[in-house]
Amino acid sequence: MIRFEQVSKTYPGGHQALQKISFHIEAGEMAFLTGHSGAGKSTLLKLISIMERPSVGHVFINGHDLSAIGPRKVPYVRRDIGMIFQNHRLLKENSVFDNVALPLVIEGYGLKEIRKRVHTALDKVGLLDKERYYPHMLSGGEQQRVGIARAVVNTPPILLADEPTGNLDPKLSLDIMRLFEDFNSVGTSVLIATHDLGLIARMKYRTLTLKKGRMAEDGLTDNGHGELL
Amino acid sequence: MSLLFKQRNPKGASQRKLGLIGRVVGVIVSNIRQILTALGEIWRDPVPSILTVAVLGVSLTLPSVMYVVVKNAEQVEQHWQNAAEISLFLQQDLTSQQLSTFVKQIELHAQVEKIQLISADDALQEFEQLSGFGGALQMLDKNPLPNVLLVTPMQEYASASAAADLLLEFEQMREVDFGKLDIEWLRRLNSVLQLIKDTMGSLTILLCASVVLIVGNTIRLSIINRKEEIEVLKLVGATDAFIQRPFLFTGLWYGFFGGIIAWLSIEIMLFYLSGSIATIADLYQSNFKLTGLNVREMLNLLLISMSLGLIGSFLVVRKQIKLIEPDTA
Repeated sequence: MIRFEQVSKTYPGGHQALQKISFHIEAGEMAFLTGHSGAGKSTLLKLISIMERPSVGHVFINGHDLSAIGPRKVPYVRRDIGMIFQNHRLLKENSVFDNVALPLVIEGYGLKEIRKRVHTALDKVGLLDKERYYPHMLSGGEQQRVGIARAVVNTPPILLADEPTGNLDPKLSLDIMRLFEDFNSVGTSVLIATHDLGLIARMKYRTLTLKKGRMAEDGLTDNGHGELL
Repeated sequence: MSLLFKQRNPKGASQRKLGLIGRVVGVIVSNIRQILTALGEIWRDPVPSILTVAVLGVSLTLPSVMYVVVKNAEQVEQHWQNAAEISLFLQQDLTSQQLSTFVKQIELHAQVEKIQLISADDALQEFEQLSGFGGALQMLDKNPLPNVLLVTPMQEYASASAAADLLLEFEQMREVDFGKLDIEWLRRLNSVLQLIKDTMGSLTILLCASVVLIVGNTIRLSIINRKEEIEVLKLVGATDAFIQRPFLFTGLWYGFFGGIIAWLSIEIMLFYLSGSIATIADLYQSNFKLTGLNVREMLNLLLISMSLGLIGSFLVVRKQIKLIEPDTA
């Protein structure tokens, strides 16, 4: 589903963010991406959503080479990828309903369909009763769940999350992870960047570990990390 | 529409089975919705919008006022053009027999539309009434005023040069002391009007350019203000065209409100001036009335101001929105 082939990324100025990264995440797979701050996690996610382009190598989604996608077609690629951010990235002046409806409005859905899908997504994250609230009226965990509802409302085949539990306590973090597992169980490929090793250890999924821009480890995390935390 | 996943088939608008009419209606409805949304955005943050609209209004008022001035002046000019009148001052020593023969002769002239004789006695009476020299005139033993014949040429001979030819012909006649055709001031009025028109032309271009620039700059600032929102839109897959549209509509609204303000200012000015204009017209014994913009001209004004607003926003929107790229940080 997501395949990297010898991907390197050098930022202007010479900083080498990624070096010769190769991996393949299958359709319907769920995986973690971990590493220290600055190890290249965010850069790797940006390459998938075409916020950055690789300096060398190729990124494939569903067999399509992303380097063949021109700037005008980037928005259509992003519609196939649900993205979740540490700082939620909600529109402050719009209600929860409007925030979640955004991807559907952009794609030109009819109002009836929008209402149905937004309700389904909000129900999934347990915020159906708060659709009229504005983001600042919600707690951090709730805001993150609104962000997740927005990412899944158009049922994309790929879900990317960048530190989705960064600001949440362990209990809330686990709730969020359970949500991702639910989406994964219906066939969505999920890639979660996090440095919350304890969480990763408890979940037992494939983990890609980056170290200074290189792939240091690719496989199941051993339980040892989890016991320590 | 999915580029990467052919089997993915979201039930979006593009996928719904709609006829051509249904789709056209859908596009119109969504555009109307966005036009209203743009209006809502202006309403939500009214202060900068009001300032911009006010500046636009002033910029548009100036050329519009000049247009109204030229329009009214042309009316005055036409009025005078049609009434081109030749005054013939007759010799003092004509007998009443000679006088009536001469008047008959002029009246039958092929190029003359109508005549009016102001006899020396009538003229004296009028002069006494209007000048206030009544007492002084009593002292005169003889009426110093001549008989005057006002000749209105036929429509075809009313133009400045034809009337001048006619005047020359009359002046040859024995009964005429001298004639007068006040054509000079008409020529002057003509050239002044031309000057105003030319000035209006160049000023209009300048002020229209300023409207475009003002709208462009305001839209640019509002795009920068909403950078975060635009980033989010780009992250969830909005095309540049989708993001641009509300800003284009905002430019359209700015033009619309600027045009309305210009129109209102003209109406207020006309109302304010109409009193003094009426007094002047009265003094000149004319029934001249100041005219403002008619419905068609007003619609033209709105159309022009709206297109200027649209052009202004169009010039900046593309580039500015392209510049904003999302960043996960």
